Amino acid sequence: MKFVDEYRDPAAARRAVEEISVISAGEHRKFMEVCGGHTHTIYKHGIENVLPTNIELVHGPGCPVCVIPMGRVDDAIALAEQPDVIFTSFGDMMRVPGSKGNLLEAKARGADVRMVYSPLDALRIAMANPERQVVFFAIGFETTAPSTAVTLLKARERGITNFSVFSNHVTIVPPLKAILDSPDLRLDGFIGPGHVSTVIGNRPYRFVPATYGKPLVTSGFEPLDILQGIVMLLRQLRDGRCEIENQYTRAVRDEGNTKALQVLAEVFELRPHFEWRGLGFISHSGLKLSPAFADWDAELRYLVPGVRVADPKACQCGEVLKGVIKPWECKVFGTACTPETPIGTCMVSSEGACAAYYNYGRFTREAAAAARIPVRSA
Amino acid sequence: MTVLRPDAAPAGGADLGASAGLCDDLARASLALARRFAAGGTLWCVSPSSTFHAHHVAVEFVHPVIMGTRALPAVVVPAGADLVASLRATVRPGDMVVAVAGAAEAEVAEAMRRGPAWGTETVWIGAGPRPADGAADHVLWLDLDDPLVASELFVRIYHLLWELTHVCFEHTGLLRPDTCEEEVCITCSDEGRTAEVVSVDDLGEALVRTAEGREHIDTTLIDPPRPGDLVLVHAGSAIASLEEGR
Repeated sequence: MKFVDEYRDPAAARRAVEEISVISAGEHRKFMEVCGGHTHTIYKHGIENVLPTNIELVHGPGCPVCVIPMGRVDDAIALAEQPDVIFTSFGDMMRVPGSKGNLLEAKARGADVRMVYSPLDALRIAMANPERQVVFFAIGFETTAPSTAVTLLKARERGITNFSVFSNHVTIVPPLKAILDSPDLRLDGFIGPGHVSTVIGNRPYRFVPATYGKPLVTSGFEPLDILQGIVMLLRQLRDGRCEIENQYTRAVRDEGNTKALQVLAEVFELRPHFEWRGLGFISHSGLKLSPAFADWDAELRYLVPGVRVADPKACQCGEVLKGVIKPWECKVFGTACTPETPIGTCMVSSEGACAAYYNYGRFTREAAAAARIPVRSA
Repeated sequence: MTVLRPDAAPAGGADLGASAGLCDDLARASLALARRFAAGGTLWCVSPSSTFHAHHVAVEFVHPVIMGTRALPAVVVPAGADLVASLRATVRPGDMVVAVAGAAEAEVAEAMRRGPAWGTETVWIGAGPRPADGAADHVLWLDLDDPLVASELFVRIYHLLWELTHVCFEHTGLLRPDTCEEEVCITCSDEGRTAEVVSVDDLGEALVRTAEGREHIDTTLIDPPRPGDLVLVHAGSAIASLEEGR
């Protein structure tokens, strides 16, 4: 169990918690944190336990590992098992199960699968191994996609031809729209993603208040940031306002990072549709390489199976990703599905709502609900 | 032991002016310092406008005034020195910076802001108008306007900081650091680690300093940074400068 005392500047955190109690005045409010990083912070620091019971946080689809469908993992394994291929991936994707196992198991079978921290590391591997083909498994939202784009620009500039990218980059706005269109979810507002917004800015979220009448506050990742984000949402509701606000002003500009957006536009183009685990196909939500970078597109260089694989029936990742159910309400949570043997992707990544809850929240939820942790007054 | 209670008037009759929670924050800051000292950290003491406080803090920690207590490494950043440059050259990840200063002292705020990149635990003691929320890891603040009373109480606060640090040493189980060994996905966590630019080359790459050490990153996605700038790093690329709009 964590307390506000352990937050950076706990006095400020106490003030924020008290203001949340005063402004919300006992009225039930349901906010979605879009980003997996927020979900992780909320569970790790026990934010739900310091909030009044009338403030409910639901977890959004902002974990790009969690939303990768099984078919794409099968495609990645097929690429990794190509002869002479060095397949590079961020660490968390290595354990995500496809229909026939995961990348770690493919590595155990003999595939040359390597974990990298950055796509630029994958490019360095290609430069060091000119006789081999290096494929990078690109995942992530707009925070990560520019790094892939910069890597591709460098590959072209340096004439590195033994490098290619299997793009699974996704964009944040289409799933937000899908969630807002979902009839089974009623939200009072959104805690907007922090570092995605450093790239895309706050303007792309304008439709949230304009069309759907919901406030959105872009927030940073410190516990204090999230508490202040909730305060700002509640102030809007109290004042009858509905707009985009920026809590994370130390990093996010309204216009975003224009250089990164230019690079994205040069290297990528929107796919007509892309499958999201649990959410189905969402139009214009995925990025593929633009024709100018076709030579570095792994999906064009190799025969990728591209078979659609249905999610396991027992898994309710879709409902969790949409915030319709809490992780512990899934039928297989903590029994058949654990971080050691995940069935759904939400249990794989440490930022997945199920894994975050399994690691931090499951033992204390009932106790905390029964006897709310008293918050000291400021 | 000296007792600091928000509802108790100190000797001399002056109103303590401590907000509720200050005692908790003081205990938490002491525990954080004890853990860092136990792991080999050094305390850097800062007070640009009242240097005697910095000297006093350092003396408290260095001097084993109670029989059997450890002398703890504490160093004063001298008056007149470029505070940020001095700390940049001397602090190492795991160190601590304690400042006794007003919220308006810009160079102190600047040093505190760099804590995440330098890997330092930051404690800011002061009175009057508060610094911005989250300006330091531990903000030990007095709601007082009288500088003389405040100055007297600062002495009490850092005496307690020193004394409680030693209390923590008596309970070795407390000294285990809050380790976080779990894997964190850099994409899902929407990671943006704070880094300080050390040097920049002509190819858009920079050597940066983070709490985990030095690394090379790409900087082509942001305006060319200058040495000393703070940037957010994600997957090997700087995605935002933390200097804009400041």
